[in-house]
Amino acid sequence: MKLLVCVKQVPDSTVRVKVAGDQKAIVPEGVTWAISPYDEYAIELALEHKDANPGTTVGVITVGPPRARDALRQALAMGCDDATLVTGADVETLGGLATARALAKVVDEVTPDLVLCGKQASDDDQGFVGQALAETLGWPHVAIVTKFVASDGGTEIWKEVEGGHEVWKASGPAVLTVQKSQKDPRYPSLPGIMKAKKKEIPEKDLASLGADLGGPSVEIRAMEPPPARKAGRVMKDGDPKALAAELAKLLRDEARVL
Amino acid sequence: MTAPTQGILVIVLAAAVALGFGIGGYRVWKLYRYMRLGWDEDRSDRPATRLRDELVIYLGQSKLFKRPYLVRGLAHALIFWGFLVITLGTVDLLLNGIFGLHVPGTETGLFAWTIDLFAIAVLASIALAAVRRMFFRPPTMHVAPGGYVILVLIGVLMLSLLVFESAGIAAELVKQGFTPPPLAGLFAPAVRGPYAHLVFAGAWWVHVLTVLAFAAYLPHTKHLHIVTTLPNVLFRSQRPRGALRAMADLEEQETFGAATMRDFSWKQHLDGYTCTECGRCSDQCPALATGKPLDPQKIVLDVRDLLLREGDLLMRDVHASGTPPAHQTETKPEELWACTTCAACVEACPVTIEHVDKIVDMRRFLAMMESAAPPEAQRALTNIERAGNPWGESREARADWADGLEIPTLAEKPDAEYLYFVGCAASYDRRNQRVAKALAAILRSAGLSFAILGREETCNGDPARRIGNEYLWQIQAQANIEAFDRYSVRKVITSCPHCFNTIANEFPQLGGRYEVVHALTLVDSLIKEGRIRMAREGPVDRGNVAGHPERTTSSLDLAGGREVVAYHDPCYLGRHNKIYDAPRAVMDAVPGVERVEIEPHHRERGFCCGAGGGRMWMEEQVGQRVNHRRIDQLRAAQADATKVASGCPFCLIMLEEGVGAKGLQEQVRPVDVLELVASRLEGSADASH
Ligand code: SF4
Ligand code: SF4
Repeated sequence: MKLLVCVKQVPDSTVRVKVAGDQKAIVPEGVTWAISPYDEYAIELALEHKDANPGTTVGVITVGPPRARDALRQALAMGCDDATLVTGADVETLGGLATARALAKVVDEVTPDLVLCGKQASDDDQGFVGQALAETLGWPHVAIVTKFVASDGGTEIWKEVEGGHEVWKASGPAVLTVQKSQKDPRYPSLPGIMKAKKKEIPEKDLASLGADLGGPSVEIRAMEPPPARKAGRVMKDGDPKALAAELAKLLRDEARVL
Repeated sequence: MTAPTQGILVIVLAAAVALGFGIGGYRVWKLYRYMRLGWDEDRSDRPATRLRDELVIYLGQSKLFKRPYLVRGLAHALIFWGFLVITLGTVDLLLNGIFGLHVPGTETGLFAWTIDLFAIAVLASIALAAVRRMFFRPPTMHVAPGGYVILVLIGVLMLSLLVFESAGIAAELVKQGFTPPPLAGLFAPAVRGPYAHLVFAGAWWVHVLTVLAFAAYLPHTKHLHIVTTLPNVLFRSQRPRGALRAMADLEEQETFGAATMRDFSWKQHLDGYTCTECGRCSDQCPALATGKPLDPQKIVLDVRDLLLREGDLLMRDVHASGTPPAHQTETKPEELWACTTCAACVEACPVTIEHVDKIVDMRRFLAMMESAAPPEAQRALTNIERAGNPWGESREARADWADGLEIPTLAEKPDAEYLYFVGCAASYDRRNQRVAKALAAILRSAGLSFAILGREETCNGDPARRIGNEYLWQIQAQANIEAFDRYSVRKVITSCPHCFNTIANEFPQLGGRYEVVHALTLVDSLIKEGRIRMAREGPVDRGNVAGHPERTTSSLDLAGGREVVAYHDPCYLGRHNKIYDAPRAVMDAVPGVERVEIEPHHRERGFCCGAGGGRMWMEEQVGQRVNHRRIDQLRAAQADATKVASGCPFCLIMLEEGVGAKGLQEQVRPVDVLELVASRLEGSADASH
């Protein structure tokens, strides 16, 4: 089976992001970049399939600036077989639909059996590119996937639903958008890291893919950091009963959680 | 005796010698070949220290006299020293028997007396050993039948020696230029008479044949340590104890860490041959004591057994195909992950076996080859990689603890004399931020010129290295070395023993050499120089330790005139770096502190808090929690202590957790020794800022 995982490089969750002066973007300096967490789960799902079915190949692709090469390198270190970087001018402000169309061009070329994406990226949480890619390709799409297995003439796909899961079946190629699953994405082994360092990562020019990069798009009007958290309050002096009553009152009237 | 009989006897003797030493020697040669299947590790540095160790540890038997092993240790030392003398006598006997030669000095009265006295001591010691093995065997001691065989052989050796000496005196075969030695002299009259000659000859043969049986049998048992201890001590690691072995040129390697016998060095295999199976390491292991699946003795024996099992096979296979079998040790991952790298085992081992190195080498295999560290540990590693701290807090927040304290960064004050390397715990953990503030207040009051790196500081990688991810450690250490060198740092203060150990003992492996001092050592000397002055009325009572307006629970409570404070030795300050006295001296200098010890688990026998070796980042679900055991020990030894002081942020976290879980917050407060000092600082309110 030939699998293709689409990933996005985002600021690592430990980074304290700062909003730039124009309020339209974050300050990129000093940011540690990482693969978006759901995309990591998508890679893990693909690699688990490869572990169980040695004939499987896992490719990984991203549309992004040159620094996104690091995300691909990480995916290779985890065990993906090959990686492709689609990049070009203005790639950082590319809208979701244009990204999906660019990806679709590469999918046409690579002809994978399945395409996996994280269900959403952790930076803008739009959850758009996977679905748009399926739509562009005219492929079926299953969302919130936690598992898939090859079965007679197709793929059985586990989709998480409230309190359980449904099993869907795709008879041909499909796009899966992946949910966090039980097994954490693997940490690359050192030989994996070393091998990935030496691997070639081919680059495709965004403009020459022939994808329609116009079309409807959204624009960020303004960003602002969340308000600073107010200092907590410690209640310790007094008799426990009175403290409890006081606490209940505060929770109800001030915090409004009761 | 006629000449032909004499001739035949000499031939019989020579044949027996050849057989005895042949069997023993063949085995030794095989064991040597197996050992060389391990990789080549250079252990030739610091020859002078090696020689000194040999004299003190091997000849002096110094590691045997530790409490609680004093009596046994003495018994063993007597057997050992007795053996050295008696071996000389035996060599003399054999030379005399075959070639009619004598070792010089063996015919003197002094020698006869020495042998006699040692024979008595050895007999007494083996009696003690036998009684102990039969009736008072500790649960961790493992006695194979071979143990008794050896005791019997030694017994027969000594008895036949005595009989033979007595008969020699009785038959007047031995030159009588001196007073007969006590035991032989005592028995001599009993064998006097017509059969004295026969008894002499009989005992002589029994003695000599027993020696040969011993030589043949010895290398097949753990008693080989009699021989291997000599090289094992000579080639022991001369690295600082706290420093793990550096892995050079990671980029060039294909495999990492140890799993098969080829992945251990020859010295690590020699360790296995030397293990006496005495169980002292296991006695001291906090993991074993609290019901974890780890037993340091088993780790050593697992590696040895793998070598013995596969040695033959591998040697043949190497010649046949050049592909070594890749069987791994019996050691299971959960055993390896249970280790806190506290080095209690290394400290306890009388024959200088290096347990922690083996454990970490096997962890390296799991962590780097298999990516199989426990998921929680893995998360800590990923956090270090991405955020520069195992908690996964933001890099940008690293110096937030210092907000408003006007502590300069090196960027602001590049000519500061000292760099205070704060470390992740004191940077991010709220409880430990108070310790960083306390240290800053102390350094200020002493007028010391210091600065921090601020956001340019990142985890030094200690947890990564001890979890087994050498690669990540090297990246982290390198990043810090680069930051230090940007500001030409020469002197570094740490308040964390793990930071101290890594920067002082391990950064040099990557070329980072600095003068590193742990805060408590520094504070000790500042107190001695009179640069830190403390008073019974500390400024804290007026409410101003380093930005802490409130009197905290870590301040001394001298309402009763004094406070009883127990000291807990952090492993990486104590056993790993031998800093036992400075923290105690600092405590003794704080007015109102009455220092007490958590006997018997203090100093060299200090009991781990459970956080070392990356355990801080792993779950602990099997057995009792190590930190809870530590609190039990504290309460049992010093129920009156109202504080327990330490010098390590991880100990502090663990002790806090233990005290909390046991509901003892009102009875005993964990603190850092630095907090005690800060709470008594004399001087104006702004001395501590
Ligand atoms: S280092 Fe400590 S925890 Fe690890 S095996 Fe030795 S005694 Fe046990
Ligand atoms: S490793 Fe050392 S302490 Fe442990 S059983 Fe062997 S000889 Fe004794």
